[in-house]
Amino acid sequence: MNGVVTQFHKAYPAYAKTKVHVVFVPWENRTTDWTTAFSSGKNGPDVTELGNTDTPTVASLGMLANIATDVHKWSPSSNIVKGMLANDTVGSRLYAVPWFGGVRGIWYRKDQFAKAGISSPPTSWTQLVADAKLLMNKSPGTYGIGAPSDYTNGIVSFIWGAGGQVAVDQGGKWVAELNTPQSEAGIKFYADLYLANHVSPKTYIGQTELGAPGATSGGSNEDFALGKLGMYVDGPWAKAEFPKNAVDAANFASFPIPGQSSGQSPAFAGGSDLGVWKLTKYPAASWDLVKTMDSVSNSTSFANSAGFFPPFTTQLTSGAYSSNQLLSGFAKAATVTQISPLNAKNWAIADTTDAVIPTMMKALMQGANFSQTVDQANTELQNILNTGKK
Amino acid sequence: MTKLSTQDRPGQLGRSWDRAPHDPGGLPARARIGTFVRRRRLAPYLLLIPALIGVGWLIVWPTIQVGLFSFQNYGILQLAGVAPTRWVGLANFITIFKDQEFWVSLRNSCVFAAVVVPLTLVTGTCVGLLLNRLGPRMSMIVSGSTLLAWATPTVAATVIFYWIFNPDGGVVDWALTRLPTWLGGGAATWAGFNWTSSVLPVYTVATLLLVWQGFPFIAVSVLAGLRTVPAELYEAARVDGAGPWQVFWKITYPLLKPIFLVLLLLSVIWDFGVFPQLYILTGSGANLDEYNLGIYVYQKAFSTPPSYGLGGALALVLTVILLVITVGYVRASIKQGALQ
Repeated sequence: MNGVVTQFHKAYPAYAKTKVHVVFVPWENRTTDWTTAFSSGKNGPDVTELGNTDTPTVASLGMLANIATDVHKWSPSSNIVKGMLANDTVGSRLYAVPWFGGVRGIWYRKDQFAKAGISSPPTSWTQLVADAKLLMNKSPGTYGIGAPSDYTNGIVSFIWGAGGQVAVDQGGKWVAELNTPQSEAGIKFYADLYLANHVSPKTYIGQTELGAPGATSGGSNEDFALGKLGMYVDGPWAKAEFPKNAVDAANFASFPIPGQSSGQSPAFAGGSDLGVWKLTKYPAASWDLVKTMDSVSNSTSFANSAGFFPPFTTQLTSGAYSSNQLLSGFAKAATVTQISPLNAKNWAIADTTDAVIPTMMKALMQGANFSQTVDQANTELQNILNTGKK
Repeated sequence: MTKLSTQDRPGQLGRSWDRAPHDPGGLPARARIGTFVRRRRLAPYLLLIPALIGVGWLIVWPTIQVGLFSFQNYGILQLAGVAPTRWVGLANFITIFKDQEFWVSLRNSCVFAAVVVPLTLVTGTCVGLLLNRLGPRMSMIVSGSTLLAWATPTVAATVIFYWIFNPDGGVVDWALTRLPTWLGGGAATWAGFNWTSSVLPVYTVATLLLVWQGFPFIAVSVLAGLRTVPAELYEAARVDGAGPWQVFWKITYPLLKPIFLVLLLLSVIWDFGVFPQLYILTGSGANLDEYNLGIYVYQKAFSTPPSYGLGGALALVLTVILLVITVGYVRASIKQGALQ
């Protein structure tokens, strides 16, 4: 960030003496901090990073400035992956610009696969389970693949991979589709990783990919890093959360979550945006800072250092990622993505406050009646997406 | 008069008070107020005013606001002044009572209080009785270690318990795994057992934690009560051949009943909506089936997007529940003659 500030001062001599005060906020605290800053009108940022699923919600609460005119005048904007920019657009207004993107795939170790006699990454769910079992046979006491129940952003890939949808927007009204046969197949497959196939441990029930909810390390992330778990669903950024004593890191590699019978399951198109705070006293300077932070070279070097991908088409197709052992799988996963309905206005209520999918998955893994549980989650999800209430 | 008025400045009032009788116009204002206060016996009330202002500012006014919120659609937009506040009648309450999660939380809170309160009271009373009989040195050791549990800050204590029961290398899972199977141990059940992922385990941990944190206060209060019981009563009981059980129920308990009543009520209030311990143990409240009312209120009021109206309505419901319990119990006790 220091380098970026220097560039900012150089590129805009008018701000040569403008101080840029960078505040790092723990990711879980971001919404609380926005809320507090916005409601009190004090201590708000000028520029803020937002999770791309936050942007529609935060924009709808009126916290972000409309920067449409500025963005259209900014030349790199035409190079931004179209879907990513569309996520920040409401009608003709634009509330943020994509800073970096990230997709989840499946982490594994090349040498462990070879030892277990797996020649190439699985390309169907049957193979995925079979390979998980092979890994477990080869290393007794370990598990094949982690399936934490509090992991919406991973679970949705399996719903989409089976041809299902979480919810679809039908003429402005959300229709939840968790209980279609396709979606149910995806949900059942995920639950069965623990229930029927026993390739995921019981410990992960009620956990996120990082262990207990709210924890920033542990759980399946730590188990994979320490060699206690064969395969681990997460993005390339997970590396930063691995414990320092991670074993056999040179063999880390990735592949896209396979499709149900072939191909790959759509990955949730995660990532972060940069937005200008509505109540900022310096809108012009803020936008200029955004331009500096999100220049093609700055966003690319930042994304690379943190395990993300830049939002620019030219960078993504340049071939730098497809030749990298660890990133090639994730780069491939990034070619088939989806974001809706995780960017719906009320998604945060459905996922953070009411935890519809995590609650459903946890209940299923604890042995609740399948169709009843899914139906209930479906009704709740639809109500929340449309009205904000269960 | 000129002289007097110069001395009437703040800080020299004492002296003008001394010279009051010389004032030709009768008593000075200050002395007259003094007489007024003394005649009407207002002094106690005047002394209460600073405290009342504090309480009013910090408790009464927020309570009134919470009451108002509970009938409004008060959220982040209303707080920021972007959207107008609307009165929504009983809509918030209807939302709450229709929410299955509320009933789950209420059940968890009730069962939890029903288990933790008696456990804390019994443990505390036993320790109090023990302390009363110990010699000075042992008494110091026991009360010292007891008070240490009490003095540990809530968050620190909870984090320690969280570590002890952690599935990744927590000492409890480690020990249970090594316990022979016929004692309920074994790796099959306990290796990496996740204490925070379902209701029963998480409340087991919370029960241990709250009893551990709560019993010292009970013990000290009971001990203080025991010290007031005349020794002759016990002597007389022993002469009449009463055993320890009879002594407790015939002498100690009736005499300490008012203390037990207060302790019981306080424990119920503390344990019913307990927040920080469960919030830390369950991990920011992501597992809905583990909510108690405290976490439920927090989640409804403050998670994105915040709904202070819903939170206010819930706080009101929680208060009413506790009031009903408290008033009901106090009435019953007055009837039994425990309180006069």
